[in-house]
Amino acid sequence: MKLFLLWLAVHASQYVVFLYFLVVNSVYTALILLALRDIVRHAYLTTSRVARRQLASEFYFKPVSVIVPAHNEAAVITASVQALLNLHYPEFEVIVVNDGSTDGTLERLRLDFSLLPCAKPVRLQVPHEAIRGVYRSSAYRHLIVVDKVNGGKADAINAGINASSYPIFCSIDADSLLEPDALLKSSKLFLEDDELIATGGIIRILNGCTVRDGAVTEIGLPRGFLEAMQVLEYTRAFLSGRTGWNALKSLLIISGAFGVFRKDMVVAVGGYRKTVGEDMDLVMRLHRHCRDRGIPYKILFVPDPVCWTQAPFSLRMLLKQRNRWHRGMIDALLANRAMILNRKYGATSLIGISYFVFVEFLGPLIELFGYVSIPILYYFGMLNERFFVMLVLLAVFWGISINIGAVFLDIYNFRRYKKTSDILRLCVLSAAEFFGYRQIMLLERLIATVTFRKKGWGTQDRRVFEQKGTTV
Amino acid sequence: MLEILTQSPHFYDYVTAAVLLLGAFNVAEILFLLWNKARVERSDLKRQNLKRLASTALITATDPAALLPRPAAEEEFAAYSEAIASVLDSFEGEITIKAVQLISDLGIDEHYRRLARHRVWYKRGNAIDILSSFKLKSNKEFFLAVFRSETSLDVRYRIIYGLSRLTREHADIRALARLLSGLPYLTAKYTEDIFYNIITALKAAGNEAEFGIFMREILHDKTVLNLVKRDCLTACYAASCERGRGLLKEYYAAFPDEPEILIAAVKALARIGDFSVTADALKNQDWRVRLAALKHAHLCCMDMLPEITAMLRDPSYHVRLNAALALAKGGDRCRVALREAAAGPDAFAASAAAYALGQEDA
Repeated sequence: MKLFLLWLAVHASQYVVFLYFLVVNSVYTALILLALRDIVRHAYLTTSRVARRQLASEFYFKPVSVIVPAHNEAAVITASVQALLNLHYPEFEVIVVNDGSTDGTLERLRLDFSLLPCAKPVRLQVPHEAIRGVYRSSAYRHLIVVDKVNGGKADAINAGINASSYPIFCSIDADSLLEPDALLKSSKLFLEDDELIATGGIIRILNGCTVRDGAVTEIGLPRGFLEAMQVLEYTRAFLSGRTGWNALKSLLIISGAFGVFRKDMVVAVGGYRKTVGEDMDLVMRLHRHCRDRGIPYKILFVPDPVCWTQAPFSLRMLLKQRNRWHRGMIDALLANRAMILNRKYGATSLIGISYFVFVEFLGPLIELFGYVSIPILYYFGMLNERFFVMLVLLAVFWGISINIGAVFLDIYNFRRYKKTSDILRLCVLSAAEFFGYRQIMLLERLIATVTFRKKGWGTQDRRVFEQKGTTV
Repeated sequence: MLEILTQSPHFYDYVTAAVLLLGAFNVAEILFLLWNKARVERSDLKRQNLKRLASTALITATDPAALLPRPAAEEEFAAYSEAIASVLDSFEGEITIKAVQLISDLGIDEHYRRLARHRVWYKRGNAIDILSSFKLKSNKEFFLAVFRSETSLDVRYRIIYGLSRLTREHADIRALARLLSGLPYLTAKYTEDIFYNIITALKAAGNEAEFGIFMREILHDKTVLNLVKRDCLTACYAASCERGRGLLKEYYAAFPDEPEILIAAVKALARIGDFSVTADALKNQDWRVRLAALKHAHLCCMDMLPEITAMLRDPSYHVRLNAALALAKGGDRCRVALREAAAGPDAFAASAAAYALGQEDA
């Protein structure tokens, strides 16, 4: 009986792994196809003369508050703020929230932007740690700096929301650079659709690009393997992943590095929650809030407003980041567990959240199980070697197709990477991912699954991203 | 269980075929990417050159059609249409006549009219956008015909947008309003853009009064959404309708319970330098109306110092802050009132006053 049960378990598990492999790859393929349709349509309509004319119109905007949470960002904060002050936008304010930095971030800002104390009253609409002071630049009247006690990124953005004056806010990381028209492109969606409550643009990797006067002037693939691999991952995640989820009305993440929100809705859900995955958590709560109250709403990803961000350049930093992302995702799913497989939340729950639960959360466990079972099955003589080899080949080739598909979406529609060598390298990386890189990331996600209760961000090393037009 | 699969006679043949197909597909994708990159680069270069050539020919040559090669490929049509639309936007007189002539000489309008009936809706939408950028009067009948047969709402909205740029007389506005009311309300910005186009087209034709007649017609028309009336007023604001002064005041008086219309009227009047309703708006029950009036209060209402000072204790944060800012811009007498409020017992009024004083000092 015991032997029969063991036999049954082994065979059932093989079936689960095989089925999982088929489902996951089919989902990714479907997302790419959906994304292709969406991106081509979007590109067609946004490049028309009327669309460009409207984008340039001085009446075609709503004022926006750009909120930049900064904790120990002295190395990059000046260049980042300068880039934001150069945005092409008729009316906006930049609110830098110094979240209890200990590396002189506030001093750097004070010196570089001639900050003066300002008695701006701050409404307590969403909770955050105490504010120590509010400053305004005497050189740039639309630059405000809020100095507060350290409370984490979510807490800092909450303080920024309270200090902001405009109905729409854009949150952006301090180590990121917005393209000059990114704010126009993303905020115009709020004018075109009254139901829109949140939107996010694409995040691209700054490493390998040349920055001059706070703007990316030359785009190139970074030389390092890890950084270049992240370009591929971001391209896949944003252009096939988020655009695909968009088409299914199930977008659950608007990147914390660049998201634009309607302030009243974010205030209505109580602002950001203190967690490492505050971006996903907020979007899930927005979905929940609107669905619970029957408020018609839209949360959209748009592929053309671009935010450039620094990617980790060492394996240690990369693993730390991925660990944090995975913990954040688990925390957001747990906090919003009422939405899991709940018909009340429609496609968002049945498609979007199900994907995150069964693929993103359980996926690493199933994949690990697959890897571990290979030697065990082999040892007991139960491994069908021919089947195993064919399955591995199929998995790798299908995975490569999905990766190249994402590269195709990018190069075909946006043509950011213009050098042939860069395109070919991305194609090579599409294959290289399956031989070591994927397994290392899997291991880190498993560690994150086990330690998901751990709080905290840890520190990230930064490169100064501008030295008179040098490459990052 | 997997044995059921693996023992089927053709299982491995199918899997091998799938692997080979995926491999071939990957190689094909890479080759297509590289080929497409080269194609797009060539096409971009050609497009830029053609655009430059067309613009130069339009400005310098007497018969540009004789100099320019006839377009055949899509990118050639796109290059010409961009050059022509840009010339039409920037020039007047003889050059625009030549540009309009070139559209028909090179068959550009015919090409986009064909595309406007394409089976893919966004291609139809794009063709309509391009045709509307030409602002050709002759396209009016075509747009109306396409509108009747069009099934996509997105394209229908674009057709109305195109028609709004061709408005010349009162009948056109009525026709447009009818088409617009047949579709679901899209967004404030869209409707405002439509009316903005109408006003600017009428202004250019010296017929601005026609829009006033239209606005008077819909003033008490219950079938027209108040949202649309508000968008008309916002368009007046954007287009600075100097002649609509009286009508804007009538709208302000006719909708005392519609804050959105009141706000639009206050703003539109202020833009043309008329602050006659601002004082009344400062007393409105809706905080948004008070806020809109406060933005201009320093220009007209400093005789209302006690009322504005009282607004430093308004329940709305925005009103308090803007009342303080209005006082800060209002001269010495107002600043004295602000300093008193800043030192006063009311914490809300004090913080707003201190902020405004700090702003002014800075």
